[in-house]
Amino acid sequence: MGKLFAVEIIYRGVFQKTLAKNITRGIVLAARDEGKFGLSFGRYGDSPERNGIPAKSFAIVADDELTLEAGMAQYEPKQVDLTVVLDDTLCKGAESWAWYGLQPVHHALKPGSTLVVVSLQDAPALLKTIHRREEPYKLGVLKGVTSFSGMWVYKDDHTDVRVLGAIAKALPEVVSLKAVEQFITEKLKNALKVTSAKTAYDRFKPMDVKPGEGNPEETFKFEFPGWTNMRQGVSIKGQPQGGPYRDPVSLEVGGFRPARNELFKKYSTRTERPVVNFATCTKCTLCWLNCPDASFDVTPDKTYDANLEACCGCGVCEAVCPVENCITMVNESQFTDNKSQWVAYREDKDAYLKWLEKTIKSAEPVEKRSYGFRYRGQYKEQAEEALEIAQRG
Amino acid sequence: MTTTFVEEKPTQNLEPFKGVKKVPYEEYFTSGHRTCEGCESAQIMRLMAKAAGPRTIVLGATGCMYVANTSYYSTVWGVPWMHTQLGAGGSSALGTAAALRVLMRKGVLKDEPINVIAFCGDGGGADMGLSAISATMTHPDYNLLILLYDNEEYGNTDIQISGTSPYGVNTSFSTPGKVKRIMHHRWKKNVAPLILAGHPTCKYVGTISTSYPLQAMNNIRKALSIGGPTFIHCLNPCPKGWDFDPYIAFELGELAVNTGIWPLYEVENGKLKLHGKTEQIANGRFKRLPVRDYLLKQGRFAHFTEEDIAFFQSKVDEMWEKWLVPGVIPLQKDLEG
Amino acid sequence: MATLTMPVEEVKKVQEQEALITGAEAIAIACKLANVDVVTAYPIRPYDTVMQYMSQLVADGEMDCEFIVAESENSQFEIVKHASVCGARVFCGSSGIGWMYAMEVLTVTPALRVPMVCLVGNRALDDPGAFGVEHNDALAVRDLGWLLNWVDTAQEAFDTALISYRVAEDRRMFVPCAISCDGAFLTHSQALVKIPTAEQVKKFLPRYNRGDLLLHPDNLISVAPQANEDWVMEIRRQNYAVTEHACDVIREVYAEFEKTFGRKYGNPFFEEYMTDDAEVVLFGMGTLSTPVKVAIRKLREQGKKVGFVRLRWFRPFASAEIAKCLERFRAVGVIDRDLSLGAPDLSGVVATEVRSAMYANAKNRPPVLDFICGLGGREVTVPDVEKMTDIVFQAANGKSQPLTQWIGLRG
Repeated sequence: MGKLFAVEIIYRGVFQKTLAKNITRGIVLAARDEGKFGLSFGRYGDSPERNGIPAKSFAIVADDELTLEAGMAQYEPKQVDLTVVLDDTLCKGAESWAWYGLQPVHHALKPGSTLVVVSLQDAPALLKTIHRREEPYKLGVLKGVTSFSGMWVYKDDHTDVRVLGAIAKALPEVVSLKAVEQFITEKLKNALKVTSAKTAYDRFKPMDVKPGEGNPEETFKFEFPGWTNMRQGVSIKGQPQGGPYRDPVSLEVGGFRPARNELFKKYSTRTERPVVNFATCTKCTLCWLNCPDASFDVTPDKTYDANLEACCGCGVCEAVCPVENCITMVNESQFTDNKSQWVAYREDKDAYLKWLEKTIKSAEPVEKRSYGFRYRGQYKEQAEEALEIAQRG
Repeated sequence: MTTTFVEEKPTQNLEPFKGVKKVPYEEYFTSGHRTCEGCESAQIMRLMAKAAGPRTIVLGATGCMYVANTSYYSTVWGVPWMHTQLGAGGSSALGTAAALRVLMRKGVLKDEPINVIAFCGDGGGADMGLSAISATMTHPDYNLLILLYDNEEYGNTDIQISGTSPYGVNTSFSTPGKVKRIMHHRWKKNVAPLILAGHPTCKYVGTISTSYPLQAMNNIRKALSIGGPTFIHCLNPCPKGWDFDPYIAFELGELAVNTGIWPLYEVENGKLKLHGKTEQIANGRFKRLPVRDYLLKQGRFAHFTEEDIAFFQSKVDEMWEKWLVPGVIPLQKDLEG
Repeated sequence: MATLTMPVEEVKKVQEQEALITGAEAIAIACKLANVDVVTAYPIRPYDTVMQYMSQLVADGEMDCEFIVAESENSQFEIVKHASVCGARVFCGSSGIGWMYAMEVLTVTPALRVPMVCLVGNRALDDPGAFGVEHNDALAVRDLGWLLNWVDTAQEAFDTALISYRVAEDRRMFVPCAISCDGAFLTHSQALVKIPTAEQVKKFLPRYNRGDLLLHPDNLISVAPQANEDWVMEIRRQNYAVTEHACDVIREVYAEFEKTFGRKYGNPFFEEYMTDDAEVVLFGMGTLSTPVKVAIRKLREQGKKVGFVRLRWFRPFASAEIAKCLERFRAVGVIDRDLSLGAPDLSGVVATEVRSAMYANAKNRPPVLDFICGLGGREVTVPDVEKMTDIVFQAANGKSQPLTQWIGLRG
């Protein structure tokens, strides 16, 4: 029996679908050049994929075909030798379609193995959101702008080959740098990409994460009922009606807070969140009215508070808001909680507005990312920019 | 005085919402569904449920708004909701309305008007379910609404062509290749007029867009109030299949209208009324934006050449310059005799 | 349920009327007496005679229901499926390929726990188009959770219609039930039928109560959301549970029926004819019982001790009872008015099920031969039956026989 390796790619549904596929295929094809056997597959439980919903794909590599069988016919490997997170906001955990609850990004990672995150932040900053675990592991950042594209048009910013370079560094038993370079040269036929992979390999220096380091938050888990206590006729209880919202200062009760699906919260679906300037809000209702996720609570003073259980970060509210800088989408990695912004505003207006300004500013460095196709030629521009940042390191 | 055997039942007679500030807070399609970021199809579900209110039964044909919205063992529906098969939008509404009617007549259920809405996607409404919807539209004595939410593709199965997919679009059944740049050469079905022209006793047919939410809700309320079977066709930009940044979902809805690609109108008891920009386009008070403004913002058209864009533009121009009822009825103006 | 039954002395007071009607008409009248709420029709021979009678009953004001003529079988069954979920007692039906056109709906109704009752006027499946009887149409749903029964007289059709509603609408069941009537022989020929009063039927059939599964604004539920691999197996198990107690419910309902109407069926699952002293038996479903019974009487005059077992309920398949019944004989000849191409020993559906039931449940396992017979509406004649009986006797006497043979076929 030979050795069996599993590499897991955690990515943003659809936005990074092609990227993830390119990477897992790259691993298998590169490993093949070294005489290994492998397969590449997406987690069926994520299908049909949705924009932004966390998804996973895998590369299984084995010394021989018989060993490979052990890695077949499963939705998701129970243990992996390396995990790559393609969007650093996913460090908060991944909740897929299936009822796994919120999975920490390292939940399948073998002790001592490496977690690779594509990010412009450094490892200690990322550890603020990555959950604690009992076993040690390595955390390595692949410096770079998170690469988002879409269903049909792919943004070729070398993220795929750079990740392959990092993997070659962290897990040479699966693919050596030589194998990666050979794969790129022969299959992708792009000399610049060879350089990108090599640079990523050279620069990739993971740190050790000790047991207990990281975000102490308890992740959401789900208890499955059995067939005897499930409702008959494939039926489930509907959603009750919501109720008013209480002002923490005046204790006035008013506005409205809808009842929400307790079993699916969008904490891990979001790459950005709206931050609201309640002082400039004209109460025009547009953000609330046009939110496909009904994520705005109506406050007693008739402003609109983005409820972060429900917001999936699409940005429509910012797009429709008629007031300059009243609603700003800010990268999710800036936040460690999901508390109500309006409550904070009511408790201390000045402090909130200062926080708001600071948050929007500090978000800027990672604001370089975009969330898909807006116009022709956009990806070419962004790819060049992204590549430059990557080379700078 | 002629006897009619059509027995009309009263409806809830829902008044229009007078302005966005009068829109009720209550949500009957709430947070926690699993649709994409910026899903306008989910948005019309929410607006539809808001417009209809609590005394409503919703039937949902297979499609994105089934698979993504209501994933067992949770739900976001605050009104009774039931799945129906892909081709059964029309039949599910008919069966539900029929049961309510007879059980109220027999005193089994309290006699009250209850809204019955069946929604279906373009796959369920414009393709497989068309036959059943057509039959349902001929039953004058059942009060129900068929709402077709149109994302111009089969969105749940990795994006494939449907009867309402636009010309030339890239889908996983029409991906441009080495020899054929355009694999989908059919023009979008003109569904609302199809229902309108084919079912003379249907009292209300209309088109809406989620980028005009107040009007969308008020049209839904009108359709539910007028009595008999009614039909509404809504265009819903799809960030996933159309391949655009969710941020511009709302803008694309507006662009579809302002380019003249998606006319907004309603036909109430046979009287046509164009809405908003569509009306201004028809009366020359607003110049249609070029379709390229709409097409070039979507990855699904990224393979279009200038020639393709020009062809697309010419077909849309035809709608407005050659059609007997511009943007609506595709009979040529210059009829013989 | 005891409160719904009537003291035995009252049975005598039942004001029965007698009418000369077809099996289809008998079912239409049963639906009228059952106060069915929603009926959907679509034309196809031979089942649709029931809808012709029903539309007349509605036109004459004898029946108060929504009578909807659909634009296809698929819609026909969808409409009643949804009406049933909203609390309506519904009736529907089809034949042959029409039934197959509704297959999508037929597939989803058991999991949705929809107690629709419908008539299948058994008809050969296309191609070629043919009007004659074959059982493959109804049998196509045998694995899906439907209750399936076969009747062989107009009276039994009438009684079984009422029984089917009572069984299907039992809260422990809530699954669809199809009554199979052989095309032509039963749907189109008239016989004398005893018809009880509406009051009696009302006592036997309380209003269908969907309880907490009712789709109505006062019962806020979501029905049949999309489920992934975390749920489907548990959902399937719930439907499996229905089949676990189906036989008990059917026994109870026949007992109630007997108390209410005084008509006895004995064993609900199958009818035995001249089996007490029989050495071999024939086994089959539906109207082929008539020529078989005639032939048996003739054969008995020749001293051949043959009997007949006619299966009433194919789903649930009462394995234990059937095995216990058949283990007494020296050989069994199953008459299949259906095909199951490529099945074990190339036998028909019924023979395969009988053998499977015998294997696990019978103390003694006599040879079970299969006869493919009367396909496409071809008559099963007395000589056919004599031939089959002869073959079964040979098997009983140790002369080996092919497990499956075609009878009444031109070479």
